[in-house]
Amino acid sequence: MAEKLTAGTFIFSPPASSPVGSVLYNEHLKLTDKSHIAEFAGYLMPLWYSSIGEEHSAVRKRAGIFDCTHMGALEVAGPNAESFLDAVTTNNIRTLQVGSAQYSYLLDAAGNILDDIIVYRREKEKFMVVVNASNEPKAKAYLAALNAGKAKIDLAKPDRKIKTAPVRDMRDTKTGPDCRVDIAIQGPASPDVLCKLADASVAQQIKMLKSFTFCQAKLANIDCIISRTGYTGAKVCFELFVHPQKAAELWQKLIDAGALPCGLGARDSLRVEAGLPLYGHELAGPYNISPFEAGYGWAVKLDKEFFVGKAAMEKIANSFNMKVTRLELSGEKGIRPVRQNDAIICEGTCVGWVLSSATAGTRQIALVYIDKDKATEGNSVGVYYLARSESQISKGRKQAVKKGERINEDIQGKVISRFEKF
Amino acid sequence: MVVKGLLYTKDHEWAKIEGDVAIIGITDHAQNQLGELTFVELPDVGKEIKQKGELAVVESSKAASDVYSPVTGKVIEANAKLEKNPEIVNDDCYDAGWICKIRITDKATTKNLMDTAQYEEYLKGL
Repeated sequence: MAEKLTAGTFIFSPPASSPVGSVLYNEHLKLTDKSHIAEFAGYLMPLWYSSIGEEHSAVRKRAGIFDCTHMGALEVAGPNAESFLDAVTTNNIRTLQVGSAQYSYLLDAAGNILDDIIVYRREKEKFMVVVNASNEPKAKAYLAALNAGKAKIDLAKPDRKIKTAPVRDMRDTKTGPDCRVDIAIQGPASPDVLCKLADASVAQQIKMLKSFTFCQAKLANIDCIISRTGYTGAKVCFELFVHPQKAAELWQKLIDAGALPCGLGARDSLRVEAGLPLYGHELAGPYNISPFEAGYGWAVKLDKEFFVGKAAMEKIANSFNMKVTRLELSGEKGIRPVRQNDAIICEGTCVGWVLSSATAGTRQIALVYIDKDKATEGNSVGVYYLARSESQISKGRKQAVKKGERINEDIQGKVISRFEKF
Repeated sequence: MVVKGLLYTKDHEWAKIEGDVAIIGITDHAQNQLGELTFVELPDVGKEIKQKGELAVVESSKAASDVYSPVTGKVIEANAKLEKNPEIVNDDCYDAGWICKIRITDKATTKNLMDTAQYEEYLKGL
């Protein structure tokens, strides 16, 4: 486990607020019962419409759409935008072409992950940074603090300065006419759905898009940023960034063209099956997992001259001894599902914990954090279920298991590849 | 959906009283909120249970939830079919998806449960 870093930690306390409906809230009420809507990251969001399994399968076989309007979209623009983003994100912004997107991290000076992000280069001096809904207030505050010179940049060189660049909240219609919220369409039939809403030249553009590239074009006469990105593992996947006032119209047009609405439940089971990390689970979170342990060291460019948090990353890159991988277990009906923090057992000893889990067909897939030398594909490991209720505790079932503790497993599993090969 | 003739708890369990035996299950509202169940931990036959005591655990891939006893008594039978086929609770929560039967030892505990109309009213207020 990476040690908890304190010096240079960016501290942010979000203001208390009650949850609000997402931009598409009224659409959700048309499609599902209120009891399937729950609070997530301050928004009221659908957990599922039909069922998690059906929606999961629609994305794997056809096309599903997701309300991602709760995700943050920040614009960084101006002559210093490239320089600013290159200093405050871990990936190499200078090599990012106009029309391309890049996975990256926002770190504080101590090396804590503040968010994992995707940076889109829309113009030479204009970027869109998409951040997690749960981290949006923090990311905004952090970028503002960096711009104001109020966040630590380099612990070894306290006088280091970085160039500043204005940041605009693209979801806030008060900030200008070019506003954007995210609707994702994922799965093999998504190009067919999009092409029903596109004229011939736009359809051609959509078909030409490669992974992590995007274009700006009209779908059903609605201006969209159409990006070949996603969070489901689907090889064919898009995110559509649209003006908030046009989001409901586009959402309905996508449904009419054959896409199935999918909720947060399927979003999670798809990303777990694919092996994709979720901030707070496979990144940062209670185990303070670094990008290297999560399998994303490639997005941390240690050969860059500088980025905020670089010193800490250099240290971790050569010293980590646990990693995130996937575990496959039976997911037949009647098998108790594994859950977050359940212990991973190898030869009677705890070697790590479950971070996330999901059912995919008759399999359970768990993302786990275990000793590197136990994470070999094909390795047999088990899981010990932590107590789920008071009566299980009274029968002696543990509420937590420490690394190295001797304990017997309840269910057998097998280490599989870090990412699903679809 | 609610069913006439049953008694209900605020935690969305139902009880069907037949003489001194209560048949226990979870309501449509509860199964609907949990989603597809993948596991049910049944109570041991012979277990003595107080009203609101932990009776069973139902789990979907997304959540584990306790089932509390609507009455005070002793478990006399559990629905073993649910061990292999927990989805019966989703398909038929008021009938084939019953969880267990309890011999009521304190009849007074059936008096503070809601009837169908009261439970319907309670659901509206959620």
